Amino acid sequence: MPATRAIKDRIGSVKNTRQITRAMELVAASNLRRAQEAATASREYAATARELLAHLKATGDTDDQPLYIERPIKSRLYIVVSSDQGLAGAYNSNLLKLFTTRLASDKHEGIDSHAITMGRQAGSFAARISRLKVDGAYTEIPDAPDQHYLQPIVAGAIKRFLSGEIDAVEVLYTNYVSTVNQKPESVRVLPAGFETIETPDVLQTAIFEPSAEEVLSTITIRLIESQLLQAMLSAKASEYMMRMMAMHNATDNANDLIGDLTLEMNKARQAYITQELAEITGGAEAMK
Amino acid sequence: MKLDLITLAGNKFSEEVYEVQLPTQSGPIAVFPGHQPLITLMKTGVISVRRKKGDADSDLEVFAASGGVAEVTPEAVKVLIDEAEHSDEIAEDIAIEALRKAEEMKARARDSLEIEKAQMLIDRYAVRIKVAGLRRHKRR
Repeated sequence: MPATRAIKDRIGSVKNTRQITRAMELVAASNLRRAQEAATASREYAATARELLAHLKATGDTDDQPLYIERPIKSRLYIVVSSDQGLAGAYNSNLLKLFTTRLASDKHEGIDSHAITMGRQAGSFAARISRLKVDGAYTEIPDAPDQHYLQPIVAGAIKRFLSGEIDAVEVLYTNYVSTVNQKPESVRVLPAGFETIETPDVLQTAIFEPSAEEVLSTITIRLIESQLLQAMLSAKASEYMMRMMAMHNATDNANDLIGDLTLEMNKARQAYITQELAEITGGAEAMK
Repeated sequence: MKLDLITLAGNKFSEEVYEVQLPTQSGPIAVFPGHQPLITLMKTGVISVRRKKGDADSDLEVFAASGGVAEVTPEAVKVLIDEAEHSDEIAEDIAIEALRKAEEMKARARDSLEIEKAQMLIDRYAVRIKVAGLRRHKRR
């Protein structure tokens, strides 16, 4: 049965693909859970830091803190958070589309664009744009980056902001809005500006050691680090969610294809049998 | 009073305690319930916690901590911390090895930035080894 042999081989190969996509779906699902947990765990840190900041603001000391000073933007640094691997649906292309739009508007306004890329996808994209200065390209981003991972990136950005080399720093990442909605967004981290929450009354008489300015600058830097961390964790959760969906769809498609091919194979086999029967009866008829 | 050790990776410790010793930039301080409100920067060092009033020194919980800010109010202490490791989590041999490497790094350093970085690592691992030593002491 030559026709059915070819179809059978195809079914075999689609089944192998289905096995892979199903495994990838499960892996993404378990990573997703961990990414979500990490995102929740870092929230309290940011909340406490904001509370302290609110108190510092009330004392009026933030006014001339250099990290908060806005100036006309002549050059802007983007920290672009993408993934190392593809096969995550529109995850990277959506993000890079936003990046392209931002670059185009910077070009229009005559702003110099710099970028630090996280993940291979953004790295190879940025390398192809001649106008863009790539200041750093990180790959193999850990699922839960810690302070030691973030500190050099943030410290570098702050140093260049204070020296006047760059006037603004933005993080481009995919926000995990909900299980069905992951949206590429940008958040400005420098010059700093934070929403603050109410300060407890007991802190009104607090003393600062060594000084209010030093406490302020430390907390501001910590908050910037936690903003970057939140963005990266949110991006990770989005990546896993979108990969899970993409692989789920791929598995569904493989199932459909296997169904169609099986039907086709059965038809071909039936046609072959019918033909053979016709030939036999035809032959027997002729012998009479 | 309530003590919270908060890191970016989540809460490391969150319990009612009687006394906590913090390594601040102006020297170590001991905080008891009813302390004057204070916001202070921390440095690399040992945080030790006494759960109840009568607890002996050998019952202290110790953490190796680096960097951060502490917020002290009469009823609570919140420490935003870069890194906190409980004495039971520290592998002493690994920390000793890491300290040796950091010292080598400092010896080879070419500029002040590298020296500073190496010194930071040295402080961090020295504290871990100290905390691991405290734990051994406690078991004896």
